[in-house]
Amino acid sequence: MPIGYILTVGTFTGIFMILTVSLNVLTGYAKQVSLGHAAFFAIGAYASAILTVKFGLSFWAALPCVVGITTLVGVFLGLPSLRVSHDFLVLSTIGLNFIVGSVFRYFSFFGGSMGIVGIPMPEFFGHPLGTAGFFGLTLLFVILTILTSFYFSRTWGRLAMEAFGEDEVAAKAMGINVAKFKIYAFAISSAYAGIAGALWAHYVGSVFPDNFGFDRSIDILAMLVLGGMGTIRGAVFGALVLQMLPEGLRVIQNYRMLVSGGILALMILFQPMGLLGRGSFLVKGFERLRGRLVSHEAEDMP
Amino acid sequence: MWCKLGLALLVILALGTFGIAEGNIKIGLFVPLTGFAAADGHSALVGAQIAVDLINAAGGINGRMVELVYYDDAARADQASAIARKLIEQDQVVIGISGSYSTPTRAAAAIFQQAGVPMISAYAIHPSIIETGHLIFRVGMGAPVEGIAGGHLAVEKLGAHRIAILSMDNDFGVSLSEYFKQTVLGLGAEIVFEKRYSLGESEFREVLSSIRGANPDLIWATAYYAGAANIVSQARELGITATILGQEGYDSPKFIELAGEAAEGVIIVTDLNRDSERPVVQQFLAEFQARAGIPADMVGASAFDAVKVAAYALAQVGTDPEDIAAAINGIRHMDDVVTGPFYAFLGREAIRPVEVQIVQGGAFHFFHTYTDPTIIIPPGL
Amino acid sequence: MAVLQQLIFALVLGATYGLIAVGLTMVYGILKILHVAHAGIYALGAYIALSVLQHLTPNFWGALAIAMLTTGLAGVLIYRGVYYYTLRRSRIVPLIVSIGIFTAMNELFRLVAGPYQHSFPAKPGLPTLITPYFVITSKQLLILILTAAFLIALYLILNRTKVGLAWQACSQDLEMAGAMGVNVDWAVALNFFLGSALAGAAGVLMALYRNMVYPTMGHVVAYKAFVVVVLGGFGSVRGCILAGLLLGVVETFLGSLEWFEFPRDAIAFLVLILVLMFRPKGLFGRL
Repeated sequence: MPIGYILTVGTFTGIFMILTVSLNVLTGYAKQVSLGHAAFFAIGAYASAILTVKFGLSFWAALPCVVGITTLVGVFLGLPSLRVSHDFLVLSTIGLNFIVGSVFRYFSFFGGSMGIVGIPMPEFFGHPLGTAGFFGLTLLFVILTILTSFYFSRTWGRLAMEAFGEDEVAAKAMGINVAKFKIYAFAISSAYAGIAGALWAHYVGSVFPDNFGFDRSIDILAMLVLGGMGTIRGAVFGALVLQMLPEGLRVIQNYRMLVSGGILALMILFQPMGLLGRGSFLVKGFERLRGRLVSHEAEDMP
Repeated sequence: MWCKLGLALLVILALGTFGIAEGNIKIGLFVPLTGFAAADGHSALVGAQIAVDLINAAGGINGRMVELVYYDDAARADQASAIARKLIEQDQVVIGISGSYSTPTRAAAAIFQQAGVPMISAYAIHPSIIETGHLIFRVGMGAPVEGIAGGHLAVEKLGAHRIAILSMDNDFGVSLSEYFKQTVLGLGAEIVFEKRYSLGESEFREVLSSIRGANPDLIWATAYYAGAANIVSQARELGITATILGQEGYDSPKFIELAGEAAEGVIIVTDLNRDSERPVVQQFLAEFQARAGIPADMVGASAFDAVKVAAYALAQVGTDPEDIAAAINGIRHMDDVVTGPFYAFLGREAIRPVEVQIVQGGAFHFFHTYTDPTIIIPPGL
Repeated sequence: MAVLQQLIFALVLGATYGLIAVGLTMVYGILKILHVAHAGIYALGAYIALSVLQHLTPNFWGALAIAMLTTGLAGVLIYRGVYYYTLRRSRIVPLIVSIGIFTAMNELFRLVAGPYQHSFPAKPGLPTLITPYFVITSKQLLILILTAAFLIALYLILNRTKVGLAWQACSQDLEMAGAMGVNVDWAVALNFFLGSALAGAAGVLMALYRNMVYPTMGHVVAYKAFVVVVLGGFGSVRGCILAGLLLGVVETFLGSLEWFEFPRDAIAFLVLILVLMFRPKGLFGRL
């Protein structure tokens, strides 16, 4: 069994699950379409890389700082969303990819074009984590992300976000502080993406400015769209499918990108709610099946 | 539920692609076949395939056939990490070859070293790659050697006094220019202009205008061949007559095709001498043209040589990783490579003459060769 | 003297930005779609012209005409085959479809024509202008003349013809325009045809200017053209051209400075975000 390979693919899938679930808060709930999620991902990766390599912090000591930094950056980069809306916001978030990448490349503090290498594996009671240990760590964060996201989806915050996501004016009229919740959405989303970035950096061991380009942002959004926007199960499933698919498709590796581009277009055209979003054919089918079973049971009852 | 589903998928994935063919010696290769680096990845793949086919046609390695297992890494570090694991664990390759850029190669090198499988980087030159560990080698010429040789060439052979530097802003371009600059300053030349540009840039007229204003007698511009073609043709369009000195990034006939007549007289520091009379060079050049439909480039040649070095070591000592490493370190005057001959491996990188080529009549031709040990051995060794 | 010469470079660069962005802004003006695949059309134009030059005729003008016709039709195909069905849907739908199409187009170019750069074997057949103050090469002259001709033609169509009037009606309110007797389907299709043909022409001109055709040539263009569209005020043709020229001047000026090394694509987006923060309707919106 190529267990290390499976664990590696699993680790990256987990990292992308965190990214997709976090994008879901911003794009699924608050309907702020972001094509710049890789920028937050990059900031998390670089923050952790610099704190551990340049300042000698451990992964664990750096992690709260990383979360703090990415939350702050999320708030700051979320500010344009208060002024601009819809398509303008999409374009601003596209711009974020280019700007963040350029800053990392330009300033030698961030390692410039030589990147930052020698990022250590996280230690656990004095022992660096192995492949399996790191997979466990990633899994832990995936579960944490899903749980907190699930908790959040049951709160007033999510309702408020969905309200102004549907109709900003109406939401304002109902007394929802739209600005506050927009910034919340950016902050939460960015913080999770930061964790994903830190995990990525420590697993790969090096970061370069070209690791986190615009195409990554597209990937993350595609995962969310495929799985189903607005649902955690959809976000998780989308990341799972699109991270696994390329591994399975290696047989036809020359056509991989063509296929994933095609899937993206066809999916949103014919199943805009995604594979597992609310009201998708899979979910409907599942519900129908369950309904039939339940009603059979009801008939069987004396 | 989702975890279970994920696990199930993982298992299916693992079982579906599991299987080892007995008897063959497997060499693993990762190359960018999709994405922005697809052209280089394709060249590297063709180069490696030619080497494998030639080895097999000659009876394989000690009677065993060589099988090349390759995957597309899209020039991404995480893809390369996963692929490295797959090559090592599932395909059980005895040695890995990188036909990719620095970022993915760096990530994969860590995994090869950790797993105790040797790896040879064809043309990725970030210094941290071979610093990863004692099993990681490089056949491509390092930036220090190339930059230093370029510096000597510019000042001593081409007589430049006023030099302009235009650097591509990635690890390759920046480190080349760093060593070049140190060398020419040490030899008494003056830097009259210096600027970095971002990778993928295709408009250089405004910066070349400024360079013209600084009136240099030589321009050192680091670039890959497409960028190089833009720089050279736009410089000539602006009437800049200064010598343009390039590096192995220019070393593709595509450069001459794209730059057209402007390419005439451009001099490059590289490791491939197309006028070499060694049969392996001419055989490779012909075979590459036949398979890829374009003339061979440096990337393809480097991948070819990486496979050759791997095969040499495997033939000498079998498949034990430590023995392979020792065999590569023990190489002395290996003539059977395109970008060579390799005099030795020092510090896990190939030591070979530095070739200087000039574009004349629409083709690269011999201009000069450096064999001086103080130039061709990287500083610090 | 150097300044005048730099201004020529800026003008040529800005003209091509404007030419690409005009099609985008026309589409946005009517359908409110972020048409990312427009950059795929741009690359398609270059590839079509290249294959015409290689296989049909060495005549540059013939290649340009066939490329514009084909890209125009490709644009209509994308509209009628895809966007048409997304008009009543959430705005994220056409955006994501468009990104999917763009990715698939890039991959098709690579699969069909190979990953390598091709040179573009055409001579424009115009003279090189040499004055004491500046030089305009024949290729630059061609770009300036053709861009000007296209834009003047577009201006006339927009302001002097029924089609132009119909577009204006559509951009105000698509359904109302239909109710008032505008054949919306035809108007939008024609809009796509023209915008895409202009993008195709821009692709051909850039292929000629840089002597290079390659699969990912639309990448940077795709996003920079949007910057131009936004700065120009989303939907305004005149603003778009002004913004294109402005971006050309800024990039050329900063690019000529020895100490300024910040990547130019990032500059464009930095300007974009700053402008959006302070003028959310774009720099030349409602001009």
